[in-house]
Amino acid sequence: MRWRLPLVWLSLLLALVLGMEQLEWLFRWIESGSREVIYRRADFLTLLGRHALVVIVASSLAVVIGVGAAILVTRPAGRDFLPLVAQVASMGQTFPPVAVLALAVPVLGFGTLPIIVALLLYGLLPIVRNTLAGLQGIEASVREAAVGMGMSRYQVLRQVELPLAAPVILAGIRTSVTINIATAAIGATVGASNLGDPIISGIVNGNTAYILQGALTIGLLAITVDSVFERWQRRH
Amino acid sequence: MIELFEVTKRFGSEAAVDGISLRVEKGQLCALVGTSGCGKSTTLRMINRLIEHSEGEIHIDGQPVRRFKEETLRRRIGYAIQSTGLFPHWTVERNIGLVPRLLKWPRDRIQARVEELMSLLGLPMESFADKYPNQLSGGQAQRVGVARALAADPDILLMDEPFGALDPITRETLQFELRDLQSRLHKTIVFVTHDMDEALRLADHLVVMRAGRIVQQGAPLELLRDPIDAFVESLLGGEDRGLKEAALTPVSHRMLPLGPHPIAQARIHRDASLHQALAVMFREHVDRLTVVDVEDMPVGELTLRCLVGVHRGEPGA
Repeated sequence: MRWRLPLVWLSLLLALVLGMEQLEWLFRWIESGSREVIYRRADFLTLLGRHALVVIVASSLAVVIGVGAAILVTRPAGRDFLPLVAQVASMGQTFPPVAVLALAVPVLGFGTLPIIVALLLYGLLPIVRNTLAGLQGIEASVREAAVGMGMSRYQVLRQVELPLAAPVILAGIRTSVTINIATAAIGATVGASNLGDPIISGIVNGNTAYILQGALTIGLLAITVDSVFERWQRRH
Repeated sequence: MIELFEVTKRFGSEAAVDGISLRVEKGQLCALVGTSGCGKSTTLRMINRLIEHSEGEIHIDGQPVRRFKEETLRRRIGYAIQSTGLFPHWTVERNIGLVPRLLKWPRDRIQARVEELMSLLGLPMESFADKYPNQLSGGQAQRVGVARALAADPDILLMDEPFGALDPITRETLQFELRDLQSRLHKTIVFVTHDMDEALRLADHLVVMRAGRIVQQGAPLELLRDPIDAFVESLLGGEDRGLKEAALTPVSHRMLPLGPHPIAQARIHRDASLHQALAVMFREHVDRLTVVDVEDMPVGELTLRCLVGVHRGEPGA
């Protein structure tokens, strides 16, 4: 049962999302001062779906752009851009997602788009950095032999470099996705409806139960996805 | 056949290889020897265009290497390097089958070829086929590297210090195996090494390089007998080069017919080297050996005087 642990986390996540009403007694005990203790403005399953979608879109773009950029700058033709790309990716992470949101909203308007841009920028660094490390960590002699044996550049990349760098690249994607699952919550501040909604609403209304419901769901989602990556990485 | 005509390679303004001309006949093993940075590896890698030459022409079987597509050229040329460059994520079997797969051979032909090569190089299929490179010893990995280089049965083999990283005993074993292999396969081999003993042991044609130029080239014995300058002489071992020459000369070249006097106790095989004969004399404190053939039958005798060549021009010399 290789997939048992991810499945356990997934069932816990779904149980929480679907059975939130059943936990009313618990939240009433925690937040005894409020009339409403379960966030009802939107269904949790819908929020979870939207949250996951935003992360999937942002992370897929980050993977394509990040891995693509790292591959390009390790080719002979793109080697001049290596320091530039490494720096831009680092800057992407020093820039707080909240600041990106603030800058993106005037341009892209409210909603899902600015949070996708923010997550994309924020998630690029681990992917770029790990892809670069993975590709640069391949022994020079392996590459030399591959070329010397008559493999084309594409064959070297596809059959030698990427498989050898895969574990490191995967670790980068794992970090990036996990961070993005947590960070996506701030999207609720600019009108992207997701699991951040209950948290923001809880903060605004001083309702700890709402905050907990959002936070627990996000936490379980992150753990579930992380455990899937963990299993996946072990195969490499 | 490989020919280099006035080949130069410049990195910036520096010439790493400076106008060298060289001809390696079909079936010959040519060793490039010299100190580090003399341009021997660069020369080798210009042949399969891992490095492009700046001037001059390189021909393979009469055709300039630039006429071929890089990949096509390299798939025709076996390539073995010091650190083996085996793919760590592939099994031994898959590593060896690399070039045949690139050439799109049918599956069963690749399978048969890999089996053939593994037995040729003393790597039993059942115990090695599914191993990964990190499970091999240095010598085994290098054998796999040579097998991979030979996989598509190329006429030409380029070897860049293939045994440089091995311990002396394994190195010697692999040198003998290569010589044995070469006597059966007759490949055209260019072999880069900085180990003069290795070069002398293997080469038909020896090329001594220094600072990007060829200082001297010729048969190993020619160089040993007549080094062109002090550099070549010191590279060949200085005073020791007499012994190296003896190591390259078989006993049968200097032995005398059996004389009337009783035969000597100490024996030496006719195919042994004069170096070994000298060692036997030294150890047994004698100056005369009986030369025997494979069946241990006396076929001649070797005296110290004819060993060292006082009797040059005697029968068999």
